[in-house]
Amino acid sequence: MRVIYLAMKNMLRRKSRFVFTLLGITIGMASFVALLSMGDNLRSEVAHQADALGANLIVMSRVDCPFINLSVLTGDILPESIPREIVRKIAEIDGITAAIPYLTLGVSIEETPVTLVGVLPYEMKMHREWAVNAGTFFTDDAESSVVVGYLTAQRFELSIGETLTFRGQEFPITAILEATGSNDDISVFMPLDIVQNVFGTDDYVSFIAVTLDDVANAERYIAAIMDIANLSVSTNEELLSSVLLILGSLNVTLQLIAAVALIAAAFGIINTMMTAIYERRREIGILRAMGSKRGTIFKMFILESGLYGFIGGGLGFVVGFVVSRVAAPLIEQNEFVTVLGSPDTAVVFSTSLLFTVLGLSILLSSVSGLYPAWRASKLTPMEAIRNV
Amino acid sequence: MSEWSIQTEGLEKIYGSKNKTHALRGIDIKIPKGSFSCIVGPSGHGKSTLLQLIGGLDTPTAGRVVIDGTGISNLSDSELSEVRAEKIGFVFQFFNLLENLTAIENIETAMIFTKASRKSSRKRAFELLNLVGLSDKLNSKPAELSGGQLQRVAIARALANNPEILLMDEPTGNLDSETEREVMKCISDIHKMGKTIVIVTHSRDIASQAEIVFSVYDGRLVDA
Repeated sequence: MRVIYLAMKNMLRRKSRFVFTLLGITIGMASFVALLSMGDNLRSEVAHQADALGANLIVMSRVDCPFINLSVLTGDILPESIPREIVRKIAEIDGITAAIPYLTLGVSIEETPVTLVGVLPYEMKMHREWAVNAGTFFTDDAESSVVVGYLTAQRFELSIGETLTFRGQEFPITAILEATGSNDDISVFMPLDIVQNVFGTDDYVSFIAVTLDDVANAERYIAAIMDIANLSVSTNEELLSSVLLILGSLNVTLQLIAAVALIAAAFGIINTMMTAIYERRREIGILRAMGSKRGTIFKMFILESGLYGFIGGGLGFVVGFVVSRVAAPLIEQNEFVTVLGSPDTAVVFSTSLLFTVLGLSILLSSVSGLYPAWRASKLTPMEAIRNV
Repeated sequence: MSEWSIQTEGLEKIYGSKNKTHALRGIDIKIPKGSFSCIVGPSGHGKSTLLQLIGGLDTPTAGRVVIDGTGISNLSDSELSEVRAEKIGFVFQFFNLLENLTAIENIETAMIFTKASRKSSRKRAFELLNLVGLSDKLNSKPAELSGGQLQRVAIARALANNPEILLMDEPTGNLDSETEREVMKCISDIHKMGKTIVIVTHSRDIASQAEIVFSVYDGRLVDA
């Protein structure tokens, strides 16, 4: 027989108390897993969106709210405030390989808001790694048709030949894109000129994605662009880091919520262990009389609380994983994060997360058990046996 | 090697700091190896306190206890634990078995503090259950055993680490006379194996079987 066996036997002795204490740590760890994985996935999704844009610099109009940057990555609507001639001037700067304008507008399909993106068909084909799932991509800049993102087509059960109506005009769907894993999947696209005409936005665009031939000299190009017009120019990394900063705050908030649950669970363990010591004073005395050292008693109680952590951590990981999968579609209905995650990527199983959760859970439980274990080990044989 | 298994010299025990209770006053005893001794006396006169001091469960206020030639009164808690694990076995009046463990597991608990392997611990526990006539009860939990069986399991547990000394506090105090005889037969068999046995008892029958009887009255040894 080993001390751990004795600890396990003791832990299972009061079954209802065991279950309730375990529930505490399980719920704590489950909320930690669910919230942490959701936070992590938001971060990875934002990074993915930034990659999908395929640009080195993002040119936008100057706005007071820095959070507006997020719209470029989320696909949300930006005001059409940059004259198109600026796009041409930027494209002419030596060393700039592409300046691709985007015009983002809000439309509705079956009374559900969807982002319509006005694009230059040729440039998009050249610079975005798009593949067509069905139909034929725009053949020229003046084609009055719609290309639909993969998830939008699925959501509204759209197929080639159907029409979408914007501003009272019908536009046939000529292509459905393959899934990209980016916000392109939940948008619809039309040639920029057509969008400007239909929506009467004159010759303005929302933002410009700029590709450089020498990324190391980004500062020089930023200065050159700012000489052309008073615009906000960010590198892709700056944009990403500013968005990640916002998400970092969100993550901290989520982790704080999880921390509260974990602290509650820790107190549950302390309470259970203190009660167990009170109930088992007699047994502690017998073990001491039989030759058990203080360290052995301490070890027995620490092992017992650590076992709560091990089992609760394992269960918490499973429950948290399931909860985050169930919660992901609900989170996607939130406007702020709608486009940050697709259902397939909302929850990612991670072995490192499993070990982190188990480690944290065992550590938390063991630390919670320190005081009770110390109290148990301080009992002298006589103090314990007097309770016989 | 000392010829005495247990010696006490001027042993005193005072409980409390303000309202002092003199539990033992200058006890000097010598118990030879392999002997069967009884400590008798009225309730509350210091019998159990003397047993607890001999067994290193408590420390004396003055005087000292010598076990097998080694003074134990000034040992650290850890050293005292080692002495208890290696040299002394305890049997209590109320059996004090761990309720959630089987009979054989209760005996094995006494060996988790030693370096015995799991296999040898189990073998030893089985041998001891056989010795006390309970080899058919090895997987029974305490709630499934009679009073006499419980006390025999407790005796087997006390013998787990093959101690030289067996200290028993009213081992039959909670048993009927028939079961008392059953347990005393078991104790007698163990004594024949050469163990030093010290029993605290109220029973004249048990005291009559002892080779040495110490009578404690008001914390003093009145005759030995």
